[in-house]
Amino acid sequence: MESFVTTFDSVVDDALFWLSDHAAFVFDAVRLVLEGLYDGVLWLLMLPPFWAVAVIAGLIGWRALSWGFGIGGAVALAACAAMGLWGETMQTLALVVAASVIALAISLPLGVLAGLMPRLDRALTPALDLVQTLPPYIYLLPAIALLGFGPATALVATVIVAVPPAIRLTSLGIRQTPGEFLELGQAVGASRAQMFWKIRLPFAVPSIMAGINQSLMMAFGMVVIAGIVGSGGLGETIYGAIRTLDIATSINASTAIVVLTMLLDRLTQAAARRS
Amino acid sequence: MESNEVLIDCQSVWKVFGERSREAIRSIAERGLTKRDILGEYNCVVGVSDATLQVRRGEIFCIMGLSGSGKSTLIRLLNRLIEPSLGRVLVKGRDLSTLNAGALRETRARHIGMVFQSVALLPQRTVLENAAFGLEVQGVGRDERNRAAEASLAKVGLSDWKNRYPRELSGGMQQRVGLARALTSDPEIILMDEPFSALDPLIRRQLQDEFRQLTKDLGKSAVFITHDLDEAIRIGDRIAIMKDGVIIQEGTAEQIVMNPADQYVADFVAGISRLHLVKAHSVMIPVDQWRLQSHGASPDGLPHCSPEADIDALIGTITGTGSDAIAIADGGSIVGVVTTRSLLLGVRGEPEIRAAA
Repeated sequence: MESFVTTFDSVVDDALFWLSDHAAFVFDAVRLVLEGLYDGVLWLLMLPPFWAVAVIAGLIGWRALSWGFGIGGAVALAACAAMGLWGETMQTLALVVAASVIALAISLPLGVLAGLMPRLDRALTPALDLVQTLPPYIYLLPAIALLGFGPATALVATVIVAVPPAIRLTSLGIRQTPGEFLELGQAVGASRAQMFWKIRLPFAVPSIMAGINQSLMMAFGMVVIAGIVGSGGLGETIYGAIRTLDIATSINASTAIVVLTMLLDRLTQAAARRS
Repeated sequence: MESNEVLIDCQSVWKVFGERSREAIRSIAERGLTKRDILGEYNCVVGVSDATLQVRRGEIFCIMGLSGSGKSTLIRLLNRLIEPSLGRVLVKGRDLSTLNAGALRETRARHIGMVFQSVALLPQRTVLENAAFGLEVQGVGRDERNRAAEASLAKVGLSDWKNRYPRELSGGMQQRVGLARALTSDPEIILMDEPFSALDPLIRRQLQDEFRQLTKDLGKSAVFITHDLDEAIRIGDRIAIMKDGVIIQEGTAEQIVMNPADQYVADFVAGISRLHLVKAHSVMIPVDQWRLQSHGASPDGLPHCSPEADIDALIGTITGTGSDAIAIADGGSIVGVVTTRSLLLGVRGEPEIRAAA
């Protein structure tokens, strides 16, 4: 038994080394694309001065929720800048946005397919269970081996944890179309495509929006953990503060994370309610 | 309006639910097993058993039965939302089971509208968009389908509500939109699956009358499912009564009320008012019999009514003229006589012949 385990471990190790030796060009390309996406988003976020971003966020909050939320959101963002953490806050936001975009590009189509094909759903469920039960740190290790230190590794690990909730809730939403509406579609002679776009999808939108919100929250959790692998942003600030027992900085950075998380959570929830 | 053209021809249709339905069907065809045998031997439920019915152009055909009688299954066999296990359904002469997916969609889209008990209005769409849904699915352009939808909303009296959302409408109004949606595609046949069951009694009666009027005005045919015999009588030209998946009686309201096929139907019709249902020809006695009873008097001196006069009108004539008998004249000749005795028996729902026996 023990020999089997050691054999298995060494096979995995060898495979990983083999990949990093022989498929380096693939992973270099992946890394380039991921870092390009991250840099692009970050560049956009850093383009206006901090107060402009705070005001824009405040206006969105006012339109989407209430004037109280808008003012609170703008002030909280300005506070992040006042604590000297504006750059880190935007880096974290850029990581979350980039990871969520990739995660949704994977999970929405897959979730729709799983919703339409019960067999695919049954096959995916244990895989998603596994991804969600493993400690999230695990995803950092192979990513480091193949992509090295930096935001690309953080992105890959974040995408992995952000994908499952959106797949699950999208699939659920597609499956939950009330029976009488499926019957209506059949009775008026709708084709399969019309059945999906005109009947199933509109009923699934609230569930899909909840999935997007959940993915975003998972991404926030992972992005902080990914500070260990040099993701940049608030995660790395916190990781550094823990190592030097710098309690004040860790509290500041945690506050900034709470501000970002709350803002995005409430805004996506508001969007979900509207749909 | 009514013609003899058969739009829906449902021939000995069976529907058996269950894992071993194939075997069950084979033994029904080969050995003639009953519903109970099928449940015992194959653990299959017979939803519809040997149903045969024809719906003619311009006719409203009601299927009345309690829950579990198979009426909802039967109506879904008529547009193949459910596949029959045995037997054929012909719509305008074409066997539905021979149609491929495209031709079936086409038939449903153009020839058979459907209205549901749950209404099933899409909540994200306005009333107008809901009413236009059938044409939208057929690929009709926005302007044209909206024009057709507005016309059918006008027919159900909801023109002012076209830009509202379904949740803003009352139950009765929502069901009107459901009917308008079915009318927009201008099908010859409308399948109504207990459309008014969930509505208040007053609204229900109003919609029943409107529905009958509209269907007749537009020359549509309808199959109307209900668990309410009063509703079936109010709406239907002909009524089929279902029990345990079997059509136990089919006929006009008058035929069913005057001659119930069995005790089950008799119990159902017991409480139904005969006043407007039973006509003179059902309660009159032969002229010779009347002569005998009245010692050779001639019926010529009696007040006259037509054979189509209902009991209400006959009572009016008797109380109005003071005569205790009415001569029933059809095209100048007297075909029978209604006496107060035969009239009273008619009110109670017993034809003279049975009362005498």
